[in-house]
Amino acid sequence: MSTSAPDELKLYVKAPKVYPREVSGRFSRLRVLAAWVLLGLFYVLPWINLGGTQIVLFDLPAREFHVFGLTFWPQDFFMLALLLAIAAISLFFFTALAGRLWCGYACPQTVWTEVFLWMERFAEGPRNKRMKLDKAPWTAEKVRKKALKQFLFITFSLWTGITFVGFFTPIRELVPSLLAFNAGGWEVFWTFFYGFATYGNAGYLREQVCKYMCPYARFQSAMFDDDSLVISYDRERGEPRGKRRKDADKDALGLGDCIECQGCVQVCPTGIDIRDGLQIECIACAACIDVCDEVMDKMGYPRGLIRYTTENALAHKPTRVLRPRLFIYLGVLLALIALFGLVLTGREAIHLDVLRDRNALYRLAGPEIENPFSLKITNRTEQMQRLTVTASGLEGLRVVTPTGAIEVPAGEVVDRPMTLSVPADRVGPGMQTIEIRLDAEDEDGPDTTAETRFFVPSGG
Amino acid sequence: MSESTSGFIEHPPRPLAQRLGAILWPSFFGAGVATMVLFAFVDPIDLAMISFPEVEISREAGYTIAFMGFWAGFASACTFTWLLLRPRSRFH
Repeated sequence: MSTSAPDELKLYVKAPKVYPREVSGRFSRLRVLAAWVLLGLFYVLPWINLGGTQIVLFDLPAREFHVFGLTFWPQDFFMLALLLAIAAISLFFFTALAGRLWCGYACPQTVWTEVFLWMERFAEGPRNKRMKLDKAPWTAEKVRKKALKQFLFITFSLWTGITFVGFFTPIRELVPSLLAFNAGGWEVFWTFFYGFATYGNAGYLREQVCKYMCPYARFQSAMFDDDSLVISYDRERGEPRGKRRKDADKDALGLGDCIECQGCVQVCPTGIDIRDGLQIECIACAACIDVCDEVMDKMGYPRGLIRYTTENALAHKPTRVLRPRLFIYLGVLLALIALFGLVLTGREAIHLDVLRDRNALYRLAGPEIENPFSLKITNRTEQMQRLTVTASGLEGLRVVTPTGAIEVPAGEVVDRPMTLSVPADRVGPGMQTIEIRLDAEDEDGPDTTAETRFFVPSGG
Repeated sequence: MSESTSGFIEHPPRPLAQRLGAILWPSFFGAGVATMVLFAFVDPIDLAMISFPEVEISREAGYTIAFMGFWAGFASACTFTWLLLRPRSRFH
């Protein structure tokens, strides 16, 4: 295609920058509170120790995960999968119940963007000043303000990166080693990587992440119905919109309650007009509710021209909060939580994996047939365990090695080779199922069993 | 939406952030999941032993290499998809 018009040659359109105006009110206080609690958890948790270990530490180098006094290993992976399923169903449940609560108050993208906006306001001032500053030529004042903003952005981003890495490598060792410039290369790399991601996502991309990259924004409509809580403009009450003096008689002028002040448009972090109806871009942050209520108060009109409501309520139909969809989500959610609790409390204290040696199937040792195995023993208790191995399932089956007890330190995984033998004249050929048993030397100590197979060659 | 000469609806150009985002973000997400699943079952040290035993690869390096490898792989697939779905008028 060589005949494109000049305007089609533009491959990219520039996304216009959104300058959200500062807002105060009920929901904005709630949002600030949520930001403090969630970011507080993120930045403070790695610094809390419990019995000498970091309270939340996904120790990747050691392949063990400490979460509030519990220790998990890669073998517990399915618990993580279960946890993710619980998170997903919770999201479904809350979306059906109260709309995009997640987006407006809890999503890291929203929370970090909020904090970056605070920094931007601190450095460059309120909305109109920021807009003017960006249009203004480069003066010493502009350089100073932009430099201050960059300093705040970069420092905060780096600290975020350090904290993130601090969840994977002990933060009390990480920070001093970073300051002394002798931290490991990978730690430094991920600190900068995550720091840069924070800087880019919260400092610049902001609402574009929600609009272009977020899958939730695209599929949330599947969980929505006419009874879901949404933020909506009351068209019936607001229209026809129009400017008027504060003391004007709106009925005489034939106007609705919307005074066309553009407040809701200016505060919107995604740059939409809520009066155009429910839109995919709306992250339900409720900033427009706060600003509109303020205006309604000033005008002496009742609050709630923009409010949390449902499609049914706006259409003067009854809203049904308790509906089958909600009970189904709740049922699945509770079932998953119960399953998780069951799995968590039912974890074996000792876990045994028996693997057949891949190199040699069997060995003839005089009148006996030997099979090599390797044992992988996980001690999930907080004490060292001394364990003895026994095998059963075949006549004359005995453990050649290990001869003594195996010592497995608390919370560790130990690999040991094991050799079993049977008298050749007492068993038939083929793979035979056998059982391996571990017993703690201590009478009340934990025990466990695992199945494996013993190979007997034909004509042996 | 504007109509092109052939009568098909032509989507207006999208912002660069949207295109890059649509390629880099799903692949980032996929790489995270793939890395988690892989290393839940395989120790990077074992993996190093059967791949490049002569090079010393620490676990941290193993995780990082795998993640970046997955990311690059998934991003290639996403880029391919994007290329296939481009309207023909964008190829001059």
